[in-house]
Amino acid sequence: MQTIQLLLSGLAQGMIYALLAFGYNITFATSKTLNFALGNFLMMGGVLGFVFYSTHHLPFAVTLAGVIAAGVVGGLILKKIAIDPSVKTKSSYNWILATLAVGIILKNMSEVFWSTDDFKLASPLGDDPLRLGGVGVFPQELLIIGVSLAIVIGVETFKRKTVFGKAILAVSEDKDTASLMGINQTLVVRFSFMLSAAIACVAGLLVAPITLVSATMGTVIAVKAYAVSIIGGLESGMGVLLGGVLIGVAESLTARYLSTGYKDIPGFVMLIAILLVRPSGVFGRQSIQKV
Amino acid sequence: MKRYWPLLLLLPLLVPSLVQSPYYVNGILNRILIYAMLVASLDLMVGYVGDVSIGHAGFFAIGAYTVAALTASPDYNTDATLTHFPQISFAVALIPAVLLAAFAGFLLGFPALRSSGPYLAVITIAYGLIIYTMINEQETLTNGTKGITLTPLAFHGHPLNGKNYFYVVYPALVFVLYLLRNVVKSFWGRAFQALKYSAVAAECCGISRSYYKIWAFVLSAALGGLAGAFFSQLDSYIGPTTFAYNFSVEMLIALIFGGVRSILGNLLGAAVVVVLPDIFSRFNDYRLMVFGTLLLLVLFLLPDGLAGAIRKLLRVGRRGSGGGADDRAELSRKSDSLQVLTPPPSSQEPALELRNVKMMFGGLTAVNDLSVALMPGRVLGLIGPNGSGKSTTVNVLTGVYFASSGQVLSFGEDLTRRKAHQRAERGISRTFQNLQLFGALTALDNVMVGLHLSFKSSLWQVALGMPKARREEEEGRVRAYALLRFVGLEQAAFETASNLSYGQARHLEIARALALQPRLLLLDEPAAGLTSGEIEEINVLVRKIKEAGISVLLIEHHMDMVMAISDEVTVLDFGRKIAEGTPQEIQSNPKVIEAYLGKHVTSQVAKA
Repeated sequence: MQTIQLLLSGLAQGMIYALLAFGYNITFATSKTLNFALGNFLMMGGVLGFVFYSTHHLPFAVTLAGVIAAGVVGGLILKKIAIDPSVKTKSSYNWILATLAVGIILKNMSEVFWSTDDFKLASPLGDDPLRLGGVGVFPQELLIIGVSLAIVIGVETFKRKTVFGKAILAVSEDKDTASLMGINQTLVVRFSFMLSAAIACVAGLLVAPITLVSATMGTVIAVKAYAVSIIGGLESGMGVLLGGVLIGVAESLTARYLSTGYKDIPGFVMLIAILLVRPSGVFGRQSIQKV
Repeated sequence: MKRYWPLLLLLPLLVPSLVQSPYYVNGILNRILIYAMLVASLDLMVGYVGDVSIGHAGFFAIGAYTVAALTASPDYNTDATLTHFPQISFAVALIPAVLLAAFAGFLLGFPALRSSGPYLAVITIAYGLIIYTMINEQETLTNGTKGITLTPLAFHGHPLNGKNYFYVVYPALVFVLYLLRNVVKSFWGRAFQALKYSAVAAECCGISRSYYKIWAFVLSAALGGLAGAFFSQLDSYIGPTTFAYNFSVEMLIALIFGGVRSILGNLLGAAVVVVLPDIFSRFNDYRLMVFGTLLLLVLFLLPDGLAGAIRKLLRVGRRGSGGGADDRAELSRKSDSLQVLTPPPSSQEPALELRNVKMMFGGLTAVNDLSVALMPGRVLGLIGPNGSGKSTTVNVLTGVYFASSGQVLSFGEDLTRRKAHQRAERGISRTFQNLQLFGALTALDNVMVGLHLSFKSSLWQVALGMPKARREEEEGRVRAYALLRFVGLEQAAFETASNLSYGQARHLEIARALALQPRLLLLDEPAAGLTSGEIEEINVLVRKIKEAGISVLLIEHHMDMVMAISDEVTVLDFGRKIAEGTPQEIQSNPKVIEAYLGKHVTSQVAKA
């Protein structure tokens, strides 16, 4: 019974990583950059959620809308001040530093304008565990798993079934050809950043009740999410779900049976081992070099 | 006068006696020097090899903890969880510190061979975090979160801690940077950069990607470990919080801030991350915001960092490339008597033989059952319409791809499973259809990468600037200059390759390929995109190459060129050989005409 509880909470944690990783992949596909500020967008979602929901007692729906709006605007700003100039300089690492810089600024802003302490955010579904056939389950964990799956599957379906979604796929595949086909690639890239940041913010709101809200809450999750995103393959959509489950469950099992201090290790070792066998992740595509 | 300028390096030794405050000397200056060493190690990986590491704090930690654990005494660490106190001396402890870090770098090298870009960046993050977790958790070795207090450094009773630590750190930094500078200015540094700009072309110049990449990681990690070793005595205390992910990020920021591939940049970058918090201590809360904003501004306004901005201000180019009038005259004089093309040893075996080679990509057969032989000293033209498999054939020949079945032989040796750099070692050289020059290197350095296999000095001889290494380097420059003159590019010798015109770039590709002293030269569409005048120049070059006895495989679209210089011609269509023979035979072969012009036209031609 305890193992099932453990697996479930590992799964919930893993879904948060998967959600953030999904955010990385969305913008990687369209801009070939990895957004190192995304963890701090997650933090922003958590902090704003706390401010709206706990401090100002706004209804949860309003809180959610506010958090999504903040993500959309934040993603837009990030793209304008960090990604656009990086792409212009054609350097292979400027985007890493530019997005890191935005992340640093976001984190520092939370510390200065909000707080440096940790806070507990109450779950909108209540914090009492449900008894399901002898297993105690936190409703928030179920909510996390459900919403994460819905977001990932929803966005992937949107990409495959709608015209705009196909435009995103086309831009991911080949920017220039997509442009020639009349797709406004600037719009697509901009949209991908807004979507990715909004998803990260929602992930922050979701994870807040099972961890604590603080200015530093994004850092560790962000790093785990890189691993998840890389394990699945940056080019793949659904791969993050697998990566998330692997890392989340490995983590909760290690924490329980070995030591909490070592809980990050299996995920990272797995990441390195997987990349040794498949350098572009499990679902990533190997490209043939043409000279 | 110029040779005495290194004496200026002695001047800073006066600093500790001139500056009274131990805080400024040890807290600021020594810290800058140690961080500069770490930033320089990061530069080797990021600036030269082009792999971004966000895990260098890990190597730094390994160095620091090795020294701390080996030198600490129980007197300073009461109630510690450490089980052993070897208490060896600081100087001796430096050795295992460097070796352990180097080994950690070696291990990181393997995933780096497979992955690149963001994948590798995330691996380095994971790597750094694994090391970070280990130092937190392995309490019997590291004392966990409590950290280790070191015995203050002294030499025969003279304290070497605090202000005096400068006398240890400064000479060490000067020495290490001297070694590093020698390495990066040598064929090692060129190999690193060649791999960054075009790994394929580097391999085809005989540079083993795995060998040099792993060495780069080992050297970078060793240097990072050494910096960590010195760091352990900076405050005579180390704790795990220093070595977190943020520190790796901060060092990366320092590197980019200062400017990559520049010692001045490394120092400036380190100075910025040490001094800025000090300046902003009054606004400590806002420090990171200012830092982030500054970083964004530097990234986009000063693309080459502070060092680049200073170079621009003083209007000096990157040092070490030479190119002054004296230098050119000297090179020109020395290269006058040099014979550029060395005739290869004669052989009865075919220079190149393909036996039933097949190349498949998934279900697509790009080359099917191809058998070709090229006798030594001959020119074989390989022609065919677009998509007929010509470029695939060249890539199979040079080891960029491996044939799905069949054999590739050269001078009697089976090369089918040999890697690209091994084929280069056996005298097979090539040019690239879509130019693969090393963009940021000068034309001269591009050719010197081609000369890679002629450098024989060991890493130590290079690092210490031994006479053998210097002589080789000088001979290499002269040879490279002679090769540039052979293709008519000596005026552009010190021009960056990316600034060359298209025609010049094609010529440079040939010069680089010839630098290998090939027995067999593969020219992959050398005339693509050239004017008829430039094509004529290439024709002349190919004839000279042939006269020197070098076998040539020429892949081309320009029929008149192929027909004019080839001894034999092989025609491909849809991955199959459809004809072979002398240029005259090929020109009148109906199958060839059909492949190029289509069936309908042929029948009309036949009727007429």
